[in-house]
Amino acid sequence: MKQKDLLQQMCDYALEVSLRKGAQHARIAAISNTAHELSVLNDTIDTIQKSVDSSLMINLFVEGRYGTCSTNKADPAGIDKLLDDAIASVRLLAPDPFRKLVPADLRYKGVPLYSAHRGSVDTEVKKAFLSGCAASIWGKDPALISVTAGYSDYRRWLHLADSDGLSCTSENTWYSLSVECAVRGRGDTRPSDWDYEGGIKPEDIGIGSPGIPCRCAASALERALAKRNPRKIGSGRYQVIVENRVAATLLSPMIDAISGSSLQQQNSFLLDKLGKSIASPALTLIDSPCLRGSPGYRFFDSEGLATAKRTVIETGRLNMFFLSTYYALKMQMPVTISAPSLLLLKAGKGNAATFAGLIKNGIFVTGFNGGNCNTATGDFSYGIEGFKVENGQITYPVNEMVMTGNMLDLWNRLLAAGDDALKTMSWQIPSLVFDTIEFAGL
Amino acid sequence: MDLTTAIDMDSNKLLNLALRKGGDYADLYFEQNTFHSIVLRDGEVNAAATDNEGGLGIRVVSGQNTGYAYTESSLPRDREEAARTASHIAQGLIRTSKPVQIATMNLPDRYRILKPWEDFSPQDKMPFLYDLNDRIFSADKRVKKVTARLSDSTSRIEIYNSLGIHCTDVRPLASLSVTCVMESNGQRESASASRSFRMGGEFLHPDLIRELAQEIITRTSFLFGAKQPHGGEMPVVMAAGGSGILLHEAIGHAFEADFARKKVSIFSDMMGKRVCNPGITVIDDGTIPGNRGSLNVDDEGVPGQKTYMVTDGILTSFLHDRISARYFQSEPTGNGRRESFRYMPMPRMRATYMDNGRDTEETLIASVKKGLYVDTFSNGQVQIGAGDFTFYVKSGYLIENGKLTQPIKDTNIIGNGPEALARITGVTRNCLIDDGAWTCGKEQSCAVSCGMPSVLVSSLTVGGRV
Repeated sequence: MKQKDLLQQMCDYALEVSLRKGAQHARIAAISNTAHELSVLNDTIDTIQKSVDSSLMINLFVEGRYGTCSTNKADPAGIDKLLDDAIASVRLLAPDPFRKLVPADLRYKGVPLYSAHRGSVDTEVKKAFLSGCAASIWGKDPALISVTAGYSDYRRWLHLADSDGLSCTSENTWYSLSVECAVRGRGDTRPSDWDYEGGIKPEDIGIGSPGIPCRCAASALERALAKRNPRKIGSGRYQVIVENRVAATLLSPMIDAISGSSLQQQNSFLLDKLGKSIASPALTLIDSPCLRGSPGYRFFDSEGLATAKRTVIETGRLNMFFLSTYYALKMQMPVTISAPSLLLLKAGKGNAATFAGLIKNGIFVTGFNGGNCNTATGDFSYGIEGFKVENGQITYPVNEMVMTGNMLDLWNRLLAAGDDALKTMSWQIPSLVFDTIEFAGL
Repeated sequence: MDLTTAIDMDSNKLLNLALRKGGDYADLYFEQNTFHSIVLRDGEVNAAATDNEGGLGIRVVSGQNTGYAYTESSLPRDREEAARTASHIAQGLIRTSKPVQIATMNLPDRYRILKPWEDFSPQDKMPFLYDLNDRIFSADKRVKKVTARLSDSTSRIEIYNSLGIHCTDVRPLASLSVTCVMESNGQRESASASRSFRMGGEFLHPDLIRELAQEIITRTSFLFGAKQPHGGEMPVVMAAGGSGILLHEAIGHAFEADFARKKVSIFSDMMGKRVCNPGITVIDDGTIPGNRGSLNVDDEGVPGQKTYMVTDGILTSFLHDRISARYFQSEPTGNGRRESFRYMPMPRMRATYMDNGRDTEETLIASVKKGLYVDTFSNGQVQIGAGDFTFYVKSGYLIENGKLTQPIKDTNIIGNGPEALARITGVTRNCLIDDGAWTCGKEQSCAVSCGMPSVLVSSLTVGGRV
């Protein structure tokens, strides 16, 4: 039996039993996942791992009450017992009138999503691929202490159904290559850095074309070498460039603050900001779920709401909240979608190097080290690593610095966005440049 | 999978299959986990979750290399297929090991379950959440929202390995967390607090509810008068308890021996050398009764134990799993842990804390002219090779001329592990283990805890306004 049919059969069974045992409504997600991972440490295969998972997640709506249960056992007796216990438990809870299935007019009704590669990669091919990748740099620089090259792939099937007729399916594959290098720095320090490739088919990471893994390895080594002998610099306000691969860290608190769970609990610094300006005109953010081949590509969310292209923030103005059926009903607002799928920050022109050319005294942030943001106030404080920018040049590495401020102030200081967003990420944020931000150091 | 199935099956056959191509070691890790949670939101306990899952992980170690596969199926053919997959790591290598006669290991009981969670329905648990909610709302008129989550899990594990070890463990874990939002004059503040122990239903006690209600009210109220501090380098007094996050991030991860084995830890070449001032002793402990990080046995069949990482200022032990112990020709320290059967084990911390010193907190504070006193934390991170670590401070005070003055909040503190250790210049005699729901996220999630007496670090970089 095909995997899709098997998952649909599991969903049908769980739905039928849920209703028979006393639920008035139910939603079922059946997931099957097969994954492989290999790693090479320096010149040796270090780990080989294979994973085969399946899970059944059941949302139960019983006499105006709500609960969930899940299991990785697909046998009918196990499902029956799980549902007996879960439904009995749900009956003991307080009613929640806002728990409903997805409204019919918003439910996904289209074709199955297929974003997958046919076929598989032989284990010996993977070993040779990874070994070649690591060998392209191992022993080539006296400062290199260790190189770890990792390969992973997965194939994931999902079937989602509910008792009101929702029935949707997806199949996804993803292949990835990561390389991390550690080099000898000053004293006992061993700075490290990494690079990454990913895509829905093996060719995207360079299986069959050695140029890609060699470039990835060389980039990881070059980045690690550049981080040697960092300095802490004086506290002050600096113009900031944030590199494309870490810029999403600064966007994350904004997205959390416009999600239903934060808003409904009044634990959000963007609570009263819908329709208002919250950022510089340089910020336009679009949720674009239907960009085939990208991570985040999807036709429906976890409860079966159809995804759609939406402008979340338009030239600094907040256009929408992320509201699932539950939180929309609780807040008496329109349902949108539970969470973003594929976020695109509208590109400007340039990249970190071209932005640096315009800065006399700044910091180029290439990584965040810890930190957090207060969800109620937007106050943040993040450790950073990166490079000093002086007179238009990216110069020496800096570390042990902390960047502090408030999210609303930060995003109002956005001067420009580049056009170098990484296509391997589900939040495709280009390099960004901000006007002066506070940094604590010496 | 259940334990009966595991015991009845031919474990020797699976171990032989796993070692069919050679290899030094193999183990079988059976797990069956049951999880429940209930959530209070907007004054009602109106959501519940149950998860029931299990499986078998099979590992083959050949030198320092690992083959791993798992199956969720209890069918012999699926388990044999997983063993064959794991065996591929040994292909072409000459070392071989064969399983020996298996004997069951007796273990201590560090988390005796008085009231099994399976005997508790939501109805038995809900009154505790309602009591917590009522206490918080009645304590302060500024309270706008309370969310509380009670979760319990019971994990039954069984291990067989090619050294002849067989053991079983039943691990309970209970957690109660609460978030409170207050509003006053248009200013909103939120804070969280939690407790977590390896306990059965006896975890639910009115004293726990009273304590947590008081703590969350105090924490949230505090924030209204607090400000982000001015940033820069300054002395920092870290209060007893959650300050143990300093140890977890600044040195604990760097002492996990997989990093040292791969030569990527800043402490890789420092065994036997001085890393702190004399008088400082740092321990990773799996033996504290009922502690969230405690283990009767680790996830590769090594008994839980107490490991002295730093003794009187000298680095005396890394935290080992079987692979790193073999590499360093040392004994495993019971730190081989994993999130579940889906993961291969690796060196992980348990409860990490510093032994008492001789100072008092008052003398440490009094010795600081201008600095910071910090007492609650949310998260931390470290760069193993560079040694730079951070932790996020939710609350504390400025120290001015030896006294606590302005309340502060929301600042990240950053330092370098070896340098920060060397800068610990005062340790008090009030060591406290923090019983919050700490979770370490090194590739996999693991329940841990941490503790500390109050300490003075002579200089750290504090994030803040400049």
